[in-house]
Amino acid sequence: METVLQGKGGVIRMAIVALLGRGHLLIEDIPGVGKTTLASALARSMDCSFRRIQFTSDLLPTDILGVTIFNQETKEFEFRQGPVFSNIVLADEINRTNPKTQSALLEAMSEHRITTERTTLVLPEPFMVIATQNPVEYHGTFPLPESQLDRFMLHITIGYPLAEFERRAILRQSSFEILEDLQPVVSRQEIVRMQDEAGTVFAEDSVVDYLMQIVAGTRNHPEIRLGASTRGAQFFLRAARAYAYSDGRDFVLPDDVKALAPLVLGHRIIPRARKSIAESEALIEEIAESLPVPL
Amino acid sequence: MSTLYRLLTAALALIGCASLAITGEIRPVMSISGLALIPGYYRFLRGESHAPVIVIGLLSIVELVIFLFDAVAISGDAFLAVAHLTIAFQALKSFDLKEPWDNLQVYFVSLLQLVIASELTNSLAFGVVFVVFLVVLVAAMVLSHFMKEGRAETASVKGPVYVVTVFTLLLTTFLFVVIPRTTHRFIGKSYSRGMHTTGFSERMDFVSFGNVKLDPAVVMRVEMSGDLSGPFYWRGYTLDRFDGLTWQNDLPRQRIRLRKNGDQFISEPYDTNRSVAQQIYLEPLDSEVIFGLSQIKGIRTDLYSVMQDSAGNFFIPGKSSRRIRYAAYSVLSDDLPGISDPRYLQLPAENRKIAELAREITRNERDSIRKARAVEAYLMKNYAYSLSVSSPPAGVSPIEDFLFRSKKGFCEHYATAMVLMLRSIGIPARVVTGFIGGDRNAYGGYLIVRRSDAHSWVEALIGGRWKRFDPTPSVSARRPQSVMLMLDSVEMYWARYIVGYSSMDQQALVEMLGRLFGSGHTAGRAKEAPGTFALRHILYSALGVTLILAVLIFVLRKKYRRRHGPATASYLRIRRALFRKGFPITSSTTSDDIVSLTAGAPYSSSLRQYLDRYRRRRFGLQKDDSDIRSLAEQVIGEIRSSARSRKK
Repeated sequence: METVLQGKGGVIRMAIVALLGRGHLLIEDIPGVGKTTLASALARSMDCSFRRIQFTSDLLPTDILGVTIFNQETKEFEFRQGPVFSNIVLADEINRTNPKTQSALLEAMSEHRITTERTTLVLPEPFMVIATQNPVEYHGTFPLPESQLDRFMLHITIGYPLAEFERRAILRQSSFEILEDLQPVVSRQEIVRMQDEAGTVFAEDSVVDYLMQIVAGTRNHPEIRLGASTRGAQFFLRAARAYAYSDGRDFVLPDDVKALAPLVLGHRIIPRARKSIAESEALIEEIAESLPVPL
Repeated sequence: MSTLYRLLTAALALIGCASLAITGEIRPVMSISGLALIPGYYRFLRGESHAPVIVIGLLSIVELVIFLFDAVAISGDAFLAVAHLTIAFQALKSFDLKEPWDNLQVYFVSLLQLVIASELTNSLAFGVVFVVFLVVLVAAMVLSHFMKEGRAETASVKGPVYVVTVFTLLLTTFLFVVIPRTTHRFIGKSYSRGMHTTGFSERMDFVSFGNVKLDPAVVMRVEMSGDLSGPFYWRGYTLDRFDGLTWQNDLPRQRIRLRKNGDQFISEPYDTNRSVAQQIYLEPLDSEVIFGLSQIKGIRTDLYSVMQDSAGNFFIPGKSSRRIRYAAYSVLSDDLPGISDPRYLQLPAENRKIAELAREITRNERDSIRKARAVEAYLMKNYAYSLSVSSPPAGVSPIEDFLFRSKKGFCEHYATAMVLMLRSIGIPARVVTGFIGGDRNAYGGYLIVRRSDAHSWVEALIGGRWKRFDPTPSVSARRPQSVMLMLDSVEMYWARYIVGYSSMDQQALVEMLGRLFGSGHTAGRAKEAPGTFALRHILYSALGVTLILAVLIFVLRKKYRRRHGPATASYLRIRRALFRKGFPITSSTTSDDIVSLTAGAPYSSSLRQYLDRYRRRRFGLQKDDSDIRSLAEQVIGEIRSSARSRKK
């Protein structure tokens, strides 16, 4: 993946953390820094099914989940699966569509299954939604509802590459061509196994306490109207385990918790003054900085 | 600042003010500012902003002005004014808690309030408040210590806080409640109504009957100068008017304040060389009367005034609810000067039979003294001492019942009968109440006077002097067990050297030190109260306190170590070493931060090796401490020897 998105090791690692933690990833940045490329590269590195949904303002829930149609030949109604039935779903520019359609992903994201009419259908494992969005200030966007935001484990930004990497990026061939060349390095079964292993990473009591304090800090902070939810805290611990696992450790360090705090909690809080997620992340960093690290 | 810490601060401020409130001594108008504590701490607990500096400043000045007025005009008492000031301070402070230092101020002022309250009351409620205060204070102090160390937010703090608090509570219970009170205070004293117990009161009546219980509660403890032999009549109060059932005293309006001469309240100038000093520790009695051997000439006390009435009774201002201490200086004599007064001839309406008996007994005697002796001897010989007195038949007065029917009774019957008989034959007489004797405690060399030693006797005015008569036959007292005496001596020492440590003792201490170091300044002092202070008592107590503190610290350290093990201990040392080298290590610095901070330093690789080991041990599942300490020593050595600090 480094070949596709050069100089962005940290971002790639976070994407893998979200995958191992059975979470979903929200990538937010201005257009043209490689959001879609990152998502595609992640999907292609794995031997998984991959669908991409381009969210547009006229997209309907059925376009995502699937639709029940009347089969003329069998004279029966049958369900035709939508693009959500795949391992990696790239919800591109998710905030271009209206909240109704955005919400269609809710159940799929939290319970890995969907309910249409009378049937409940289980989605394949692993299942991960990678959503990209433009910052809310831009024209033609619908901000994601809080409940939707809360279901993303991590929120990352990519940012401009360093001058050296940007130069290389301009000179070389189109990134889509490189994407075509990417070979899967892990199988689907391996991903599921790794996800299981990441879930068993040991978190010492004081580390969990530290994590809880940071979460509690978001609830008590005077500049924050709504703090992180309990689901946020669950995701936080899962992310911290996955982060430790991705580092080759079988135990969580306070460092992991501190490093992940802004990415996990930044999009879950509602500050008093209207602020961008980046500023929220700065608030979280401030909270983490004010708390003593367990020794 | 953690919520717990805020809560403890608020609790301490409220407890401090409550302790003053329950004394009932402070003036409600002057303490009305205390109500501001509630909104103040409500805001504080909710984390709302503190009041503007200018307002606090202005109010502080107003507070001081009010204090000065209070001290000079309103209360007229500096002590009470300080009490009022502390309440106003707490109220003001509740709106102005910014820094940790402010919380410590609150603690300090609360403590001051407790000290003031302890001077104003000795009620059980105060004891309860004090224990609560102590627990909260210890918890707050321990927590603030951890806050200072930057560890307050972790759950591991709670354990030590609880342990220290409980330990302190137990220790305090032992020191303050069990030792001084086991023998008598809470257990021995009987408050039950309807049961007649021996003791002292300013009235004497014959209304209730039945068994009189001997109450062993201690009334006072007395240290006396010289080697005197008894019997000791601890004279308290005289009773002059009897209505057939109840004795009362009609003199209370005629008390005079004694002049203070030097350090004593003087009743009458006297020869100090002939006087007997009695150092008395008087337990709370429902009375203003104080006791001493007849005839008291001077009283030395920390109280601000002492009064005397025309019958030679001495009073303190107001009933004391706590143990008071005074020295009485008496010139011993069995009689007092006095002048006749019609009140000492007053008789109840129905006295015919008693008068007849009195004339019968004294028929053969010519002068008053012989008549009185005859009555005394008659009562002593013909009547049986008994604490079990049955109710008299209807229409018969208790004294007639005693004299003519049951022929048994206790000192009150004897004394009353004798006074009535003497008055019937024209000799002015009065009943005197007080205590007789006391147990000598060999362990402390002092006398214990109990409620069961309560006694009443007779004074008759003969030849211009009040002479003492005691018509009650003496009864053999059972001796207390020596264990009780030993425990009592512990209580006495407690009262003497810890609770009752006063200006008198300080003076004595200075004098003793003066003697020790050969200074000649203190040679010419008047005769001192007995029980001179011993330096070793201070040394012992200091030693004890140090020992207790040492144990406490040891336990705390042990606990801290066990919780985190050598890994954390070594990690803390490394952090400290790096901090000294100028690295910005704060409580929120993680081990990764340390790695990036020290990148490029000569010891960075070994430090990283150590950190890896430390993390595995502390946060991983590996529980092996073997090499971590040596690794840490090596890293610390490298850090210390590294060239210079790298300020960031």
